[in-house]
Amino acid sequence: MSVASTTVSARRLSLAERLRGGAGSVWFPYLLVLPLALILWGYVVQPMLATFVESVSEDGTVNYAQFLSSSGVARTSLITSLGISLASVLLCGVVGVAMAFLLKRFSFRGRGLIEAFILVPAALPPLIGAISFQLLYSEIGILPRWLQQVFGAEKPVLAFDDIAGVLVVHTFTMYPFFYLATSAALAGMDPSIEEAAYNLGAGRIRVWRTVLLPMLTPALVSASLLVFMTSLASYTAPLLFGVDQTMTMQIYINRTNGDLPMASTYASVLGLVSILFLLLMRWYEGRRSYMSQSKGISTQRREISNPIGRVLAPIASVLASVVLLAPVATIALVAFSADGSWTTEVIPSKYTVENFETIFSEPKAFEPILNSLKMSLLATAGCVVVGVLIAYAVRRLKFVGRGLLDVAVMIAWALPGTVVAINLISAFSTGTAFSFGQALIGTFWILPLAYFVRFLPLVFRASSASLALVDPSLEEAARNLGASWGRAFVTITVRLMLPGVIVGALLAFVHGVGEFVASVLIYTSSTVPISVAINNRMYSFEIGTAAAYGMLQVVLIFVVMWFSGRLERGGRRAEQWTN
Amino acid sequence: MKRRLALIALGAMVTAGLAACGGSGDPAPAGSGTQAQKFVIYSARDKKVTDYVVEQFTAKYPEYKGKVEVLNMGAQEVLERTRAEKSNPQGSVWWGGTQQGLTAGANEGLLEAWQPAFAGQMDARYRDAQGRWFGEILLPEVIMYNNKLVPADQAPKDWDDLIDPKWKDKVIIRDVPASGTMRSIYASMIQRFSADGSNPQPGYDWLRKLDANTVEYAANPTDLYVKMARGQGVLSAWNLQDILLQAEGQAKMPFGYVMPASGAPILVDGVAMIKGGNTTGAKLFLEFLFDGTLRASLAKDYFQIPAIPIQQQPEWLSKLNLKPMNVNWDVVGKNETAWINHWNANIKNKG
Repeated sequence: MSVASTTVSARRLSLAERLRGGAGSVWFPYLLVLPLALILWGYVVQPMLATFVESVSEDGTVNYAQFLSSSGVARTSLITSLGISLASVLLCGVVGVAMAFLLKRFSFRGRGLIEAFILVPAALPPLIGAISFQLLYSEIGILPRWLQQVFGAEKPVLAFDDIAGVLVVHTFTMYPFFYLATSAALAGMDPSIEEAAYNLGAGRIRVWRTVLLPMLTPALVSASLLVFMTSLASYTAPLLFGVDQTMTMQIYINRTNGDLPMASTYASVLGLVSILFLLLMRWYEGRRSYMSQSKGISTQRREISNPIGRVLAPIASVLASVVLLAPVATIALVAFSADGSWTTEVIPSKYTVENFETIFSEPKAFEPILNSLKMSLLATAGCVVVGVLIAYAVRRLKFVGRGLLDVAVMIAWALPGTVVAINLISAFSTGTAFSFGQALIGTFWILPLAYFVRFLPLVFRASSASLALVDPSLEEAARNLGASWGRAFVTITVRLMLPGVIVGALLAFVHGVGEFVASVLIYTSSTVPISVAINNRMYSFEIGTAAAYGMLQVVLIFVVMWFSGRLERGGRRAEQWTN
Repeated sequence: MKRRLALIALGAMVTAGLAACGGSGDPAPAGSGTQAQKFVIYSARDKKVTDYVVEQFTAKYPEYKGKVEVLNMGAQEVLERTRAEKSNPQGSVWWGGTQQGLTAGANEGLLEAWQPAFAGQMDARYRDAQGRWFGEILLPEVIMYNNKLVPADQAPKDWDDLIDPKWKDKVIIRDVPASGTMRSIYASMIQRFSADGSNPQPGYDWLRKLDANTVEYAANPTDLYVKMARGQGVLSAWNLQDILLQAEGQAKMPFGYVMPASGAPILVDGVAMIKGGNTTGAKLFLEFLFDGTLRASLAKDYFQIPAIPIQQQPEWLSKLNLKPMNVNWDVVGKNETAWINHWNANIKNKG
């Protein structure tokens, strides 16, 4: 990926030099930003504006007025959605940051176990993953049914329902945003600052408040944004747990009703709220600087000395691993259970490998998997090149409209996938300058484009949070020693922000492989993604085969995670070696 | 070093991916002599049905071999996709849609009007007057029950039995506003008490009692089947074809059905030709879809009730005793949105 960005930046650099002044001139930021701004305008902002235009097309701002009346569904939905999103940020933050600290800072028995499974939730395929939650924790779930049997209760015990259910699903699936961001920040953090604080006599709480949390701010801001916006645009969880007064459910219901302007109004308000939250976070983060001059060295892990902690740690690790693995185990259970053998029983009564045989016996069984891999990889490559450059521009360069660039990247993340797909179809159903005069719908390219537009924010935010911790003077030193802008950018800046870039790329790739809501509107027969293949099975209620497909997807994502883990570890080793 | 290798590997994969899609993106060279042009079908039907029908179609018209592409998706997604692609239609056939969805598509100018040969045999209720869409199958909406937990003789006999307090917390309903099927059932329950739709109140009262008996609203059909099978609730209102498919098919679900004594609302599920698509292929395919032998085998294997009666009925169909409820779909069509919005805001989870 840095290979690709070298060529891009080198080309841009020679252009810059031709215009005299090189990378130091006041024009340089604009030269770098212009192509980025064009990409964002053409592929993200301009298509998404269609939603806003539609919302005011028929009767002006009348639809918006509904959000002001106290009795209507509109305001209740907005408040419910906001509440769910804020609670999700809080819960994911607590779980994610605690996990990151525990695993990166302490050494205890069982640590390896949790660390191996900590990212399992990120690998959960969206459609079948939602079903596995139902089968685990809802009123028909294994756990409540089992507790019912144990206690001889009349009704299933501890069944999650309603908003509590939504929050459980959100926390479980989105805490990796916090975990990954915090881990990346911890990896890039200089332990000597913390040690200095302790040596100067600060207590543990004070060190947390005045050193660690401020150092983590960029990571926390980035994760909060992603979690907030994801929860706001989340559709499956409220759907499954029957919370229908949320913004996304109202969008769907209004589209079914045929009231397109109202659906667009909901989507626009959704986008607006997300952007306001983004601006608030930018303001909060911008109040101080978080740079550290030294290179990141991973700290030595501390042994847990407390005897109670020593006993509890392994037990807690096993428990946490069980919780983390439960949804995947449920999918496996379904994949290996005979159809119809699981109705009122706690767990299935008959097992079989038939579901896997069904998949493998189909001649085109692996095509959806290959398609998803290919399209997601392409989109991720694009996200990395554009996302890293935008992160650099927004953090480092001085130019007018930095905030706008930030908003432009995030806007697609703030809208539900269906809306993004519909906007892209409308924008690229005929040839435009941005599609080189070709109609993109009905071709291969619209899918990677949609994944790029939807998941660019992941790479951008992760890179940006990582870059916030890197002092620009390191790059300046390289420039003063005679390196070109391109060389300094690639060998110093990109390398130092690499943990964040890898995290972002991994998230983008995994999301791309699982993407369904947008894909189903734009796929063609030669680009069937794995999620559509799973959905076709679910639609005909072949849950067993769908789960078998889901297992393949989980395994695939694990392989990619392992691969990227090696990539990152290799990178750190090389870094230490060159330093 | 390792990292560099990994990066090179990644680069190679991307390049390989690009090369591969370049290859698949090329249009197939036009075969000499054959006139058949490729066409795309958007279908809300089960993939097994679409695979089977396309196989039969290309067996009869070999020139279309490899030229019929079926994209399976939900009924609402077919409408969304067709609508979004209006300026450059990619699909030619819309296969599987509710009367409401097809009417919406027709009114937005997405569908091509034509007069196929089979139109004359079809009851006027089951097709668009201007020939923009045609009913393919009839979906009677009946009472569904879990026959493992409720003996057949104790199952409700009519719609009004569903609101009996003895079934409190025993009913599961596929959530109404997002489901075309459920909207139609609920609207017919209201129209049952008010022929011209002017007074929905008795219908609302009835639905409030049903809500009191409803333990949960299921998110989608899969969710409904899972919850019914696992006994969170034991009764529902659902379409006959899906009940039979789940019970008799591979899934072996413990589902039975009751034909309500006062009749079943009958929904039409139809097909249409998308404006701006490949009309030659679409017409040929749609005519083929109404072929008698094909419809007979679909009726036998997939429990479809054809909109145009067939000669030899399979056993299940001849024994069905189908009793249609007298629903005025014009009245329903006019009021459905208002009624369902009222239900969603004031009745759901409040009974």
